Amino acid sequence: MSLPGLLDPVALDAEPPAASLIRSVYVHAPFCARRCGYCDYAVTVAQTGDVAAWLAGLAGEVTALEDEGLFVLDSTLDTLYVGGGTPSLLGPEAMAGLGELLSYDRLEHADLEWTAEANPESLTPEVAQAWREAGVNRISLGLQTFHEPALAWMGRLHGPAEGVAAVENIRRAGFENYSVDLIFGLPERLDRPWSDDLDGVLRMEPPHVSLYGLSVEAKTPLGRSVAEGKETPASETRYAEEYLEAAERLTGAGYEHYEVSSFARPGFQALHNSVYWMGLPYLGLGNGSHSYLHPRRRWNVSDWDEYVRLTGDGQLPMEGEEVLEPVSVRLERVWLALRTRRGIRHDSLPAEACDLVRRWVAADLAKCDAGICRPTPLGWLSVDRLTLDLDGVL
Amino acid sequence: MLLDHIRNFCIIAHIDHGKSTLADRLLEATHTLDQREMREQVLDTNVLERERGITIKLHAVRMVYVAPGGAEYVFNLIDTPGHVDFTYEVSRSLAACEGAVLVVDASQGVQAQTLSNLFLALDADLEIIPVINKIDLPGAEPARRQEELADLLGVEPDSILLSSAKEGVGIEPILEAVVDRVPPPEGDPSAPLRALIFDSFYDQYQGAIPSIRVVDGAVRPGMEITFGAVTDRYEVTEVGFLRLGRVPQPELLPGEVGYVAAAIKAVSHTRVGDTVLDAANRAEDLLDGYQEVHPMVFAGLYPTDTDDYEAFKDALDKLKLNDASLHYVPETSVALGFGFRCGFLGLLHMEIVQERLDREFGVDLITTVPNVEYKVLLTDGSELAVESPAALPDRSRIESISEPIVKARILCPSEYIGNVQKLCHDRRGVFLGMQYLDTERVELEFELPLAEIVLDFYDRLKGGTRGYAALDYELLDYRVDDLVKLDVLVNGDPVDAFSIIIHREKSYDYGRDLVRRLKKLIPRQQFAVSLQATIGTQVIARTNVKAFRKNVTGKCYGGDITRKRKLLEKQKEGKKRMKQVGSVEIPQEAFMAVLQLGDS
Repeated sequence: MSLPGLLDPVALDAEPPAASLIRSVYVHAPFCARRCGYCDYAVTVAQTGDVAAWLAGLAGEVTALEDEGLFVLDSTLDTLYVGGGTPSLLGPEAMAGLGELLSYDRLEHADLEWTAEANPESLTPEVAQAWREAGVNRISLGLQTFHEPALAWMGRLHGPAEGVAAVENIRRAGFENYSVDLIFGLPERLDRPWSDDLDGVLRMEPPHVSLYGLSVEAKTPLGRSVAEGKETPASETRYAEEYLEAAERLTGAGYEHYEVSSFARPGFQALHNSVYWMGLPYLGLGNGSHSYLHPRRRWNVSDWDEYVRLTGDGQLPMEGEEVLEPVSVRLERVWLALRTRRGIRHDSLPAEACDLVRRWVAADLAKCDAGICRPTPLGWLSVDRLTLDLDGVL
Repeated sequence: MLLDHIRNFCIIAHIDHGKSTLADRLLEATHTLDQREMREQVLDTNVLERERGITIKLHAVRMVYVAPGGAEYVFNLIDTPGHVDFTYEVSRSLAACEGAVLVVDASQGVQAQTLSNLFLALDADLEIIPVINKIDLPGAEPARRQEELADLLGVEPDSILLSSAKEGVGIEPILEAVVDRVPPPEGDPSAPLRALIFDSFYDQYQGAIPSIRVVDGAVRPGMEITFGAVTDRYEVTEVGFLRLGRVPQPELLPGEVGYVAAAIKAVSHTRVGDTVLDAANRAEDLLDGYQEVHPMVFAGLYPTDTDDYEAFKDALDKLKLNDASLHYVPETSVALGFGFRCGFLGLLHMEIVQERLDREFGVDLITTVPNVEYKVLLTDGSELAVESPAALPDRSRIESISEPIVKARILCPSEYIGNVQKLCHDRRGVFLGMQYLDTERVELEFELPLAEIVLDFYDRLKGGTRGYAALDYELLDYRVDDLVKLDVLVNGDPVDAFSIIIHREKSYDYGRDLVRRLKKLIPRQQFAVSLQATIGTQVIARTNVKAFRKNVTGKCYGGDITRKRKLLEKQKEGKKRMKQVGSVEIPQEAFMAVLQLGDS
């Protein structure tokens, strides 16, 4: 499995990709058994997902899109990603239903990456098995940590043992490709043993690890308790130390740190996410999802009931869209290019930018090799700042 | 015209005591303006003046009054600005009069400006006609105010008139008193021309047009005139008096008040207090009292957007045509770019100029901390006037620095004496004495450094007296004190816009507060940034802005890109407004927050 140009360095002065047919689809599964304290996603709390309503909504949206004719799917897809929410809450049957909805003609080929997200408590052997049979070939597991108090603090519904069991289920069902999510930067008072968690993950030897820093969003319960002074986020020093330690240990264990938050064994890069980072077109289905076909980006209503109502009426569930100005396209490209290991070609940079890059190298924020500049993990810690500095001299 | 039938007078009052309303009633009662022409407070034509209820520019209006016996009198009502910043202009307009109607609010009584204006009027030997106004209002105590004024002026209480200008009550007796009590002007019609300029305004077609009071001789079209302080000669194109507009006349004779048009380039040629002379027959003596107007308060004005520099310069040039007391010279700041160091008569004048630049010319400005003009004695014995901290020479060359000291008069209810005393003490004030105006109101006198007044003194004074205090001051002299220049170093580089001249005793608190505030405003950089407040080589306060460690290294999926890009774009906007000082980026907001008034 791969994508054309996946490993090529970025030329910042290249033309954006010409509009084309869409070969990547994201589908949002909005249901969660419980909302986590830090989550600001489009999520509907329910003990089980309403699979029928979900598929009906998606079917309505696909029909409305076909009527509109702007976002058109190609005859085969490269990637399909079912995220959430908690897709595993939808139970065993949902993925087959989705495959039929999108048409198996598009999906039944050897190069497809079909990922579904799962949480340990709902990824039962039956679900894993049924998904495998439906065509899902990659699972992204919300493991987060093995530390019980931290899981409880986050409001997760699984314990450490269920995390281990879920990885077992994934393997037994025959998935070679899967990813585990690890969260870092938790409040220091939780005494979460970061090194132990890294040990635990390395022992599992997953082909892919996603590493996310806890971010405090204002409109979440966590954001409110921080604002009220009831919770103290990890210090910046702690945050940076955990990130750099993870980068060092995972890289040392043979993982490639190929994107700010992503580590993979060779050949196991997340293709669907790479589509986002490469600026390729994608279609988002479901409430709160985003679609992109240069230069247009649009997003759906985030409210589930509203989504059901609009798709039921045969309307597009669109909330808004933007047509990107060249200056925004450039900013996104600089930012996304700096986020990945693909690197930026020196010969696509003006002289002033080369001076800037030299200063980065001197400060250990980037490395240059064979005419290609790539941020170091230290540089990735402040990738937004690097982005603005570089964009400012283009 | 017979001099006997001319009366030149003005109205003086504390702000809001009813001066403009009374002027309106006089215009109505003399049928100078009919109802259709009548607007509220016709003399205050400038929008800003109307909003602030104060008179900035002077005006003179001619009225004809028919006395009860049938005799006709020409009244020239000369309006005066009502603020301490314009004391000199007030004194010149008073010099054009023989009498003054002193208006006092029946409930508020004598206030700070009542006194300062009264003293100016007495200095000018004017006949005072005291009037208690607003007698219709609840809370009015006319009898008590009459006693108070009688004490102050040394006159009989029943010579003090009562009025309600708003209701049109008591207007006729005021007009009669002007005839009876104000002496007619004197002057020699056959002597060479001497006329006093008490105001000047700029007309885009006819140039600068001075308002004048003829003392001797006559001025008429075709004559060539010149001035005491300016040697240029101009041919008079028109003379006349003001009513609702200009009313041309064949000539202006002694005792008369009016205007002269002579295609004069700018109001800086028609300086208030100067004497208009006949170029062909120059009088030997000039009229007394002319002074160069000297700015008291200085500040750097910089366009927020550096691209607006040319527009800003044009706006200042245009404003200057109309406001001779505005001074400015180009100034460059490392931090703020190109701008002007401007001199103002006082804080109100500064605010007015800022607002006019904003409203009439649409220029968005950053104003630096205002300061006064210091006199610096150098070790080589020479003296230097310094109006910007940046212009202060190296310490090794300075023998001493002296600063302007004012005599301040503060009126407030007696319960706030403690607060006022404390404030003035904190501001290095020297208490001179106090005097009860009645059982509740007291007048305190202090010597204060002007520099302490220009830094939000007035707001503090109002705050400490629940808004009741009134302040007035006049320049006393310059005095040597232990004044130092405080600099702020960012990573070792001095940032000129943050420098200030300050008394040594106050420098420590100021320096600590300043670096603390800057620490909050300067975003963290890739490296630690040191902030220091220094006097010479001595560091009096320091702190560090820690190095920037992280952005949120979060996920980035399809739905995150737009939101995240918008955040980046917002940061990009902020970054654009950053000023690079050495290796450190300082946001404009940091300059604004530190430099702008009212928040120290």
